Amino acid sequence: MNLTRRDFLIGSAGLAAGTCVSAPFLLPKYHVDRRSKRSRVAVLHAEQYSQKLDQILAAGLRLFPIDVRGKRVVLKPNLVDYAPGDAINTHPLLVLAAAESFRRMGAKSVVVAEGPGNQRDTQLVLSQSGYRQSLREEKTRFVDLNRDQLIRTRLRASYTGMTHLWLPRTVLEADFLVSMPKIKTHHWSGATLSMKNMFGVVPGARYGWPKNILHWKGIQESILDICATVPVHFVIADGIVAMEGNGPLNGTPRHLGKVVLADDPVAADATCARLMGFEPDRIAHLQEGSRFLGNAAASEIDQLGASPDAPSRVFDLVPEFRGIVGM
Amino acid sequence: MNTDLFLLSDLLAELALRQLPCGGWAALALSSQPALEATCFSTLAVGLAAPPSYVAQAQEFLLRTQNPNGSWPAFQGDEQDGAWVTSLAVTALRDVVPAIPARLKAFHWLLECAGRESSWFWKWKFRTADRHVRLDPDKFGWPWIPGTLSWIVPTAFSILALNQLPCTCGGFEKMPFRVERGIEMLLDRACPGGGWNAGNGVVYGVAVPPHPDDTAIALLALTGRKQEPLVQSGLQYLVKTAPTLTAPWSLAWAILALAAYGQGIDSLYKSLVALPDLTKTDDTGTIALACLALDYQRTLSALGVTA
Repeated sequence: MNLTRRDFLIGSAGLAAGTCVSAPFLLPKYHVDRRSKRSRVAVLHAEQYSQKLDQILAAGLRLFPIDVRGKRVVLKPNLVDYAPGDAINTHPLLVLAAAESFRRMGAKSVVVAEGPGNQRDTQLVLSQSGYRQSLREEKTRFVDLNRDQLIRTRLRASYTGMTHLWLPRTVLEADFLVSMPKIKTHHWSGATLSMKNMFGVVPGARYGWPKNILHWKGIQESILDICATVPVHFVIADGIVAMEGNGPLNGTPRHLGKVVLADDPVAADATCARLMGFEPDRIAHLQEGSRFLGNAAASEIDQLGASPDAPSRVFDLVPEFRGIVGM
Repeated sequence: MNTDLFLLSDLLAELALRQLPCGGWAALALSSQPALEATCFSTLAVGLAAPPSYVAQAQEFLLRTQNPNGSWPAFQGDEQDGAWVTSLAVTALRDVVPAIPARLKAFHWLLECAGRESSWFWKWKFRTADRHVRLDPDKFGWPWIPGTLSWIVPTAFSILALNQLPCTCGGFEKMPFRVERGIEMLLDRACPGGGWNAGNGVVYGVAVPPHPDDTAIALLALTGRKQEPLVQSGLQYLVKTAPTLTAPWSLAWAILALAAYGQGIDSLYKSLVALPDLTKTDDTGTIALACLALDYQRTLSALGVTA
C-alpha cells in the first residue's frame, strides 16, 4: 500500500480528532489507585448490643495489624435521624467500644464525628439516639461535621464533574479515619455501607440538609468522588440489627447478629452486601470502586473471622434495586 | 413572662467571648472560620442588649462579606455564588441604615434564586419520571444553594426576609408571587401527620416524620395563614412535641414559634433556662438562638412576625 504524505496527514488528523473526542470516555475518572494486593475482613458474631461488645471488638481488632499509637483517630458513625424502635443509626455502644479499643491501642486522641444528613439539630439526634449521655460518660469528644471548620479540597476523582468540595478539618486532619456504618438498604443506592456513610462528612452548613447537591450530581458518583478524596482507613460496620426494605430511614429492623471489620472499605462493603444476599458487582459504586478504591472480589479478600455466608432470607429492597440480589 | 436576665446575660457574655476579631462568629467554639449562620443569629442576639459598638462590629463584618451578586456566602472564604444564609443576613441587618443598599441588592438576589423544580424541565421530570418523593413542582421556594431543589428552612427564612420589603415597586414586583409560591411550597411539603421536616413529607409512599425545629421555622413563616388546616396540624404537632425536647436548638425554635401563635410557653421557657451547661454548648448558633428565645418578643419583632 502506498501511503502519500497527504493520506498520512489526513489519517493523523483523524486519529487526533478521534482521540480528543473519545479520551474523556476512555480515561479513568480516578486520580489515585488505593487498592492493596489483598484486603482483610473479619465478620464477628454479636447477638445483641451489650457491654460484651468491648471484648468482641477488641478481639476482632487484634486480628488486624493496626498501629494507631500516637494517631488522631476519628470515628464516623452513621447518625442520620432518630425514630423510636428503628435501626437507623450506628448503635452508640459499638461506637463507644471502638473508642475504648483505640484508646487502649495507644491512639493520641479519639473523636466521634458526624454531620447528620436530615436533621439540623445534631444535639437532638445525639440526645434521642443515646449518644449524648454515653459520650459524656466516656468523656469522648463529638464534632458536628455539619458545622466544622471547612477546607477547600480538590476531589481525587471526577465522577460527579465537581472539581472540589468544602470538607471538615476534623476529617481531613485525621490520621486514622474509621467509617462505622449501619448495614442498611437504601432506596436510592441499593445499600448504604461504609462508603455511602462518607456522605456524612459533607457539611450541611455549606451544602444543606439533606446534602442535595450530591443527589443532583448522582449518588453513586458522589460516593466515588468522596471516597477517593477522603481515605477510609478502617471499617467497623454495625450489622447486629441491620435494616431492610425502604432504607435508610423507613426500612424494617433486621437482626443479623454481625459486626464487620475491614482494612478496606470496598472489601467491607462487598462482604456486607454478601451478608445481605446481594451481589457486590451489581451495586454501581462497589463495582466501580473495586477498580481503584479497594477489593470487592472474594478471591482478593482474606476472611479473618467467620465466613460471610449469605442470609437464609435475602434482605428486602425497594423494587428498583431487586436486581442487585445475588441468589 | 419576664426575661431570665441572668441567663441571658451569661449567654451574651459567652457570645462576646466567642466573637472573632473580624466581627463574625464561627459555628463551633474551637473553630476560627467565620460562619454566616452563627454570625447572623449572634448579631441578632447581641443586638438585644449589647452596646452599639459591639453590635456595629458584627454588622460591619456582614457588610464586608456580602458577595458582588448581592448574596452572602455560607462562611468567609466560600465561593461567591450565594447561599441560603442570605435571608438571615438581610434579617440581621434589618434596622441598619447604612446597610440599606446591601439589603436591596440581597432582596434582588433572593427574588432571582429559586429551587430547581421551578424550571419547566424539572417540573416535567418530577411529574413523569421521578415520583418517589411526593411534591408538586409547581410550588417552589428556595434552595440551600443555587442549582438544587427547594427545601423548608431556606424557603421559610426567605419568606420572612422578603416580608420585610416595604413595597413591591422598584424592581421588586415579583415579591408577592415568590412569597405566595413559597407559602404554597411549604404547605405542599408538610408531613401527613402534621409538621415539617427538611422537605420530604412522603417518600416511596411512606410518611416521613416531622422535626421540631423545621416545623417551628415553617410556622414562623406561615403566621399569615394561621387558619390553614396544615398550619393548625403543624402547630398541634409542635405543641405536643415541644415539652419533650431537651436539646436547646429545637427548644428555642419551639418557644419562638409557639409564642408567635399565642400558645403558652411558660414551661418551655423554664425548661430552656434549666438546661445544664448552656454556655458551654459547642455550637455558637445554639447559644445565640437561646438568647433570642429568652427575649422572644423582641426577636419576633426583629423577624417581622406579629404574635
